[in-house]
This record gives sequence, C-alpha cells and structure tokens, in this order.
Amino acid sequence: MAETIRVEHLARVEGHGGITVELDGDTIGSVRFDIFEGLRLLETMVRGRSYEDVAGVASRVCAICSVAHSLTSLKATETAFGIQVSPQTALLRQLLFRGENIQSHALHLFLLAVPDYLDYPGAAALARDRADLVMLGLHLKKLGNSIQESIGGRAVHPVNVAVGGFGKVPDADQLIALRHGLLDARKDCQTVIDLVASLPSADHCRCDTVFAALRSPGEYGYYAGEEITVISNGTRETIPVSEYRSLTNEKAVLHSHAKHSAFRGEPFMVGALARLAANSDLLDGSAGGFAERLGLALPSRNPMDNNKAQAVELVYDVECALRDVERLLDEGPRPEPPVAVRPRAGAGTAATEAPRGLLFHSYTYDQQGLLASADVITPTALNAASIENHLRHTVAQSRQIDAPSLTKKLEMVVRAYDPCISCSVHLVRKRHAV
Amino acid sequence: MCEGMNRPSVGIFGLTGCAGDQLVILNCEDQLLDLLGALDVRDFLLASSRNDVTCELDVAFVEGAVLSKRDEKHLRRIRERSATLVATGTCAVWGGVAAMDGGARRAQYLNDVYGELGAYYDSQPAKALHEVVKVDLNISGCPIEKGQFLAAVANLLNGDPPLLAEYPVCGECKMRENNCLLIEKGQVCCGPLTVAGCEARCPGLGMPCIGCRGPASDVNVESALSTFRSKGISEDQIVMKLRTFAPVAVTAGNAESVHG
Repeated sequence: MAETIRVEHLARVEGHGGITVELDGDTIGSVRFDIFEGLRLLETMVRGRSYEDVAGVASRVCAICSVAHSLTSLKATETAFGIQVSPQTALLRQLLFRGENIQSHALHLFLLAVPDYLDYPGAAALARDRADLVMLGLHLKKLGNSIQESIGGRAVHPVNVAVGGFGKVPDADQLIALRHGLLDARKDCQTVIDLVASLPSADHCRCDTVFAALRSPGEYGYYAGEEITVISNGTRETIPVSEYRSLTNEKAVLHSHAKHSAFRGEPFMVGALARLAANSDLLDGSAGGFAERLGLALPSRNPMDNNKAQAVELVYDVECALRDVERLLDEGPRPEPPVAVRPRAGAGTAATEAPRGLLFHSYTYDQQGLLASADVITPTALNAASIENHLRHTVAQSRQIDAPSLTKKLEMVVRAYDPCISCSVHLVRKRHAV
Repeated sequence: MCEGMNRPSVGIFGLTGCAGDQLVILNCEDQLLDLLGALDVRDFLLASSRNDVTCELDVAFVEGAVLSKRDEKHLRRIRERSATLVATGTCAVWGGVAAMDGGARRAQYLNDVYGELGAYYDSQPAKALHEVVKVDLNISGCPIEKGQFLAAVANLLNGDPPLLAEYPVCGECKMRENNCLLIEKGQVCCGPLTVAGCEARCPGLGMPCIGCRGPASDVNVESALSTFRSKGISEDQIVMKLRTFAPVAVTAGNAESVHG
C-alpha cells in the first residue's frame, strides 16, 4: 500500500524546509529533504561591488553564522589581494569564531534539540518544568553573544570587522569582562556534559558516514587552515582548500533550492561530529575526557551524535576562549589599524568551520577591487545529500513503528544536523573568470 | 493598538531572510522567560513544534522579505489573522539585501545559479511587506536592535504607540562624541541619511555606517547630499551604498523615504 509521510514545514530549525518519504509496502521510494527557502541570489547581486562592501552583504546570508560568513569572506578577499593579517587579528578572529560557536551550539542544543529528547514541543514548554536547563542554555548563549559583541561589535552581523583587521581592537576592560564571564561559565561545563550524557539515546540511522572538515594547524580551531581532511571507510585524505570543487561537486536538484554535493559519488557530513572525527588529536585539556564520558567513538556511525559533538565543542570553546582572552591580556591588546589594502586582479578561496560545518567563499576581483564573481558553498548545502541518506537509513531501520514515531525520528535526524536553511540556498555560481 | 493588552496572543514569523531578527528576539536572554510570561506566544515555528496556525493574533511580528508565491500567501494569511502586524527588520520594512537589484535581472541570475532548473523554482523579485499587505508598525534594522524590540513590546502591552526615531544616525553619533568619519576623514558614511536607533554602532568603532537600518524620514536630503559632494563623494556612490539595504527607498539622484 502506498503511503507518504510528510513534514510540511519543519519546526525548530532555521529557515524553511520539509521532509517527504514515499513508501510502497516494504519498498522505500523517494526520501527527500525539501528546501523551499526563497531565493535571494545574493552572490550575483554583490558582483560589481567594491571589496569593502562584500563581507557586509555576505554576512546577511545567515544570522546564526554571520561571523563565519563575514570572516570567510574577508579571508577570501585577503587571499585574492595577498594580504597577511597580524597575529593579533588572527587570534581575535579565532576568538570571535569561538564566541559564535558557543552562541550557536547553546541555542541549538538547549532550545532546539533537547526538547525532542525530553518530549517537549519547544524550550518555552520545557522551561515550565525544567527552567534550570533552559536557563543554563540561555546563560551560555549570552556568553557567546557577549564575545561576539565585544570583538565583532554586534551579536548578529558583526560590524567591527574589515579587510585587513578590525575597526577598533577591544581594550583591556572589555577583555577582563569577557574573562570574568568565561571563568563563571567554566563552572557550568560539567553540568552541560552531565545533562547531555543523561539524555535518552537516539540511535536509529546507524551507517558508515563520510566526514569532511577543515584542519587548523596546531590547534582545534575554526578560522585558520588551508587543508580539508576527508575521512571515508577508515582512510584519511587531504584536499587543499583551493581545490574545493573536487570535494563539493555540486549539482542542482528540483526538490531543493540547495544544490547537492557528493565526494566520489558519496554524500558526506560536515559539522561538529566531522570536526571531532578529523581533529580530535588536537583537543587538549579536559575535552578528550568529555568525549569519552559521552561515549563518542570516533569516527561515529551514528549521525545523532552530532548533538554530543556540539556539547564537547561547547565546553571546549569556553576553555579555549578563556585561554585566548588571557593570552591577549598578557600580551596587552594593541590598537592597530587594518592592514592597508592594495586591490589587484586575482582570485581567492577561503574555507572555515562555521558552527554547522565547512564553509567556502571563493571570489575573483578585477584590478580596481570590484568583485567579478563569487561562489559561496555553505555547510547545510554540503549536508543536504547526507541528510537524505540518513533519513533513508532511519526509514529502513524503523519499519516496525507507527507513522508519528517515525516522523519524530526523521525530524530529529534533520535537527541533529542543526541545519541553517537560509544558508543552504545558493546564491551564485562562478561564471565570469577575470 | 493603543489599548493596553493583557497577555496578548502573539505570532513570530519569518519569510525569506537570514532569521536575524528572530535571532535577536531569542538573544534577549535576560528577558526571554519574562517575555514568555507577558506574551501568549501561539505561533513561533523557529522555537516550537507545537503551534496554533489558525488562531487570531493580537500581534504578529514578521521578518524577512517576500520572495516567492509561498511567502506572499503566507504573509496574506498572517495579515488576515492579526490585529497588528509589525514589519520586523530591514528586509520586512524595505526589502533588504535581496531587493538590491530591484528585481531587474532575476531571470538571468536564476539561470546563472541553477542553470535550466532555475525557471522551475518558485521565485519572484523581493518585496517589502508593505508592498503586499497593510503594515501597522515598522521596526527596521539589520538586524533590529534588542532595546527597540523590547521597548515596542512594552509599549504595545501598555497601549502606547511605540516611539521610534525618525532622525538620522548622525544625531546619536554626535551624542556619543565620535569623530565624524565623513567630515574629518572623507569616508563614505551613510549616517546622515540612515535612521537612528543603533546608538551609532559602526561609527563608534571607527567604521562608516553602511545604511543597514534604512532611510531616516526626518532628514534634509539636499543638505546631506551637498555635504557628500563637498567631500568628493558623488550621489551615485551614496545611492549605491543605500541601495544595498533599502532599494525601494532610493532612486538615483533622489534619496527619499517612501514609507513612515
């Protein structure tokens, strides 16, 4: 008997998407992650604009990852112009990324994902019974936002970042206030891990998964790095960021405004779980113990573990942000203007790790510094094919359960990816090489 | 709108955009639980999977621009069920970044991005909410400022008409005693034409205003343009900047507010 399971409009995810599963008796037909986010085509619109304006528009691709979009944009532009930023700028940018990651993971874990595990429709309902839990999430989210405000000038769409550096370098008073907040938050870290460890298990789409993540040299980071690690069937290989298209291989599909990606024909997963799989050797301090406490075997065969991986990163970023702030305070924050920009014709590609995974910006400029072409590939676009793969496994591994229970499991899979659907929608393809 | 409301029923909606304004609402961490106590939030898809999608609403906050038939239908339904509709954020008030090109080359862009499939997608040029339905209140900003949102909610609860600035960013910038980036450094700062409410965030950091809040209505456009000219900044340059966020407000040679 033919049957269609449909989630028209997914709740508790950013943006507009749905799920469709077609079943015919024991045969699983089409399984789709439908994306009907409106098409803003920002990359085409920014063509012809000055290099100074590009990051401000790029930021608007997505609010929750606006730091990642702004800084990846700046990194691509700086690569095109051959600009090296100062070590202080690089450190502040890394700290800004950690702030965004704390904000984004706290929002996703506590307000969007955890309600599923405890059977609540959302954080407002959860707060009636478990105010402690919601307050903990809000407290950490606020901390992440305070880092973004102090370094980036605003919690959503940073205004203090520029090609070559910052508008105004935060002063010692601002850093001391951040240190205070981070020291305070460190006390919550064990509670976060205990909470996530206590959640009922979710394990209904177990399978081999290909992972891809940026590798930052020398530390578990999100901003620096020029190489992608791909983990597939127990092997690791490295792809230079400049050759990102050999990883992404995008193609347009009709049911989704996000293009689909595949590496050697296989969908792949990006995000916290992929980062841990690729870079866990770079974790130091207590973070390794946290992963163990949560029972994370890496690389994981259970994509639902992305929630646990986010919890590990959340507490690790609190530790690392504290270390970064103390280093800045030890060295004394120096006011410095952005590096002088001399535009030139050229191309630049940059990759970073946004909270939900690998993000690419690739630009070409003409000799006046006007943008000739842009290509932006976001983590949720990269994940779209992998999400469908895991939805299919969920259906295959849940044949004996009723439709509402299956629907909930399907929603949980999509939510575990922490999709940012606004982001996923493509804005441009490279057409006009300089 | 001018009578006090006892726990008004509220919906918070996103059309096409970056969700930044809904995120600012969720970023009111210190007030969020109080807000949930004071407001009866019935429909908020970003935050809850149990929503009443048909009930009448006292207030609807709508962010994003209209970019598809789906958006347009959604917005009309929200309008039908809401007593007060608040355009929330620059995309909702002015069309925002997706309206930057005025829709002129949309078919070409769709083809550039998606190839032949582009023609099959539900896509139309970006419109601000007021181009589709009647809007009762505008809170602009990309994103909105937390303080302005909370003040607007408090006003609605008390039955006072929300007071939003109509003067330009320069007013707030002077209050903060910032050095003027336009006069002193000749930078292309959109402060003289952009509506205040952000406490001059960008100039306060030494960064020129990029006009993300949309145009101010209480502004002497001619005088501002003559200041730009005296600094060697052409009208085209400033219009190009302003078009980024509020294209419907600007026509070449004449920066003016079209909507109060």
